[in-house]
Amino acid sequence: MAASNSLTIDCAGRPTRAINDEIRRAADEGVPVVELLNPQARHNLGVSVLKPIHVVYRGHVGSYAAGLCDGITAEIHGTAGWGVADNLMNGEVVVYGNAATSAAPSIRGGRVVVRGDAGPRSGMILKKGELIVGGNAGYMSGFMMQNGRMVVCGDADTGLGDSMYQGVIFLGGKARELGSGLHEVDAENGELDEVGALLDRFEIKAPKSFRKLRSDQKLWHFNKHDFAAWKDVL
Amino acid sequence: MSETPDSTPPAHAGDSSVEVLDEALPAPNGAYPRPHGFSGVWPPEVIEEIQEKASLGRYQIRGQATKRAGLPSFDDLVFVPAGLSRMPLEGYREKCDTRVVIGEGNCERPLVLERPIMIAGMSFGALSVYAKRALGMAASRCGISTCTGEGGMHHEERRYSDKLVMQYLPSRYGMNPYDLKKADMIEIGCGQGAKPGTGGVLLGLKMSDEVAEMRDLPEGVDQRSPCRHPDWMGADDLYMKLEEIREVTGYQVPISIKVGAARIANDVRIAAKAGVDAIVFDGMEGGTAASPTIQLDHAGIPTIAAVAEAAESLAEMGRKDTMKIIVGGGIRNGADAAKCIALGADVVYLGTAPIIAMGCHKPIYLEDYARLGTSPYECQHCHTGLCPVGITTQLPKLMERLDVDEAADAVTNYLNALTMEIQLFARACGKNRVSDLDPNDLRALTHDVAMMTGVDMVGLGGRTPWWKKF
Repeated sequence: MAASNSLTIDCAGRPTRAINDEIRRAADEGVPVVELLNPQARHNLGVSVLKPIHVVYRGHVGSYAAGLCDGITAEIHGTAGWGVADNLMNGEVVVYGNAATSAAPSIRGGRVVVRGDAGPRSGMILKKGELIVGGNAGYMSGFMMQNGRMVVCGDADTGLGDSMYQGVIFLGGKARELGSGLHEVDAENGELDEVGALLDRFEIKAPKSFRKLRSDQKLWHFNKHDFAAWKDVL
Repeated sequence: MSETPDSTPPAHAGDSSVEVLDEALPAPNGAYPRPHGFSGVWPPEVIEEIQEKASLGRYQIRGQATKRAGLPSFDDLVFVPAGLSRMPLEGYREKCDTRVVIGEGNCERPLVLERPIMIAGMSFGALSVYAKRALGMAASRCGISTCTGEGGMHHEERRYSDKLVMQYLPSRYGMNPYDLKKADMIEIGCGQGAKPGTGGVLLGLKMSDEVAEMRDLPEGVDQRSPCRHPDWMGADDLYMKLEEIREVTGYQVPISIKVGAARIANDVRIAAKAGVDAIVFDGMEGGTAASPTIQLDHAGIPTIAAVAEAAESLAEMGRKDTMKIIVGGGIRNGADAAKCIALGADVVYLGTAPIIAMGCHKPIYLEDYARLGTSPYECQHCHTGLCPVGITTQLPKLMERLDVDEAADAVTNYLNALTMEIQLFARACGKNRVSDLDPNDLRALTHDVAMMTGVDMVGLGGRTPWWKKF
């Protein structure tokens, strides 16, 4: 039996567990799109969906929307709470509003796009994949990033990219303070064009220019002569 | 962080043939100098510590556990077995139930432990894969669980462990929904007794290509793990995080939360309110593969104090029957374990002891201990990755020194002995279930332990002395 083209779930009054079970079942059956009405800032909507499906959230969502998913695409037409797309393995999650604290924590692949502002600790311990923030990013964004790419079109608060191991941050605005071990390098040929094309795709206004930031790797191993950097991070 | 000082002393250091000394002091006459004794404030180990920091330019790091002596311990308690007032069970014959079930009534697949013992979280990275395999084999034979530790779930560990707990930690190394679904319990890690309030440490020599790949880190890097979760902060967030994890696991398996024993009464209250199935904590005697030495010795509270505090807190919350207490930190034998259970623990959490059972500190490969500047029984060099007996290393030549089958047998034997010892005390106290041991089965040998546990002092207990009655 061919899967229907879409499924609509009205979240109002339904338990989270039942909503998520229905999304997963739809994904198992090959339904391409599921639309969630009245998410009402509920937590944990669309968690652990491991087969491809496109999830459309029609409203604000609470914590961990699309958390621990693999291979899904999602669009959130509202504001996202803490930890949106937590630990995403692969896929793409687009937040059309702002995202609260810890957007895209520890993602291991895929792409998370926040068209508005993102709160503190965005992209913390990012492992692979990409976080794009159309507006500003809060303090300690990119903290302990292990790899991947973060693009911040606006300003960043204190501690940007503090103690990063690997990966890159493209910053369009100003940083109140760069985190320990972060330094500016030249962008490689074509890199900025690629970022620009991505921003066009998500209809995010690109800043005039980007600074490319990455770890100077001085924190990879302790060296007493670099104590100025280490005193904050030991 | 290399353990090797990254500067060399000046060439004249240690040169005693300075002319001014020849003029000021009489020539040596061969007499043995009169001993002046070591300073109580500046004993040799303190001087050595200061001079090592002066060379390294950072705090010292080492493995295993605190070296502090004199902490209040389970040795300060004794059992008061049956006599005329109650009857003991036959020590070698009558059944004495050891089973513990975690998450009963709250998930589809509660964790059933055949004994009140779990193998504590020790990562692949801290331990070699062979050591992990041996632990899995032994635990499976004994009907108890092992735990992944920080580095993610290694397929060998899953293969050899019938019951495997997966840690969900601030670093999220190797974290993915597929492995969470394979676990038999999820343990949300928020701290450990050896270094409460700080994150993990894994020095570069142990960051092999396989360990690095599992953790998404550069090979050979000195890893410092984050100490708090990236996406939740307080009690209310924890409730939401628990729901997220239960969604991933399909509400199939129990969830515990682990902390280092410190502000344990409040931690238990928060965990109970959030709805976990168990709280896990280890006292300041808890083990580690690498920790700042100063943290090992000066942070957290002793296990014995933490157990009593936690048990009281859980009872106050009305969750004594629905939430288990799992306690680690310096549990060495069946007496420690049985006393811990009598004070309120449901399960004891063993890390260091099984590692010792499989050969840690064993007096073999003495030359390699010497090259590390140490010797058996005082080694504590797990952090270097150069473990002489091949347990806490990722170097293939050293790893091969551990015979997996022999190690698994040794750990099995140790766990069997420990279980028999626990049952011995339960039967002697007239209990046909280990879980029926309670504080009335104990007496304290010291005022300190009586105060911190609420257990009656030996002799007097809480009674009025007889000479005041007559």
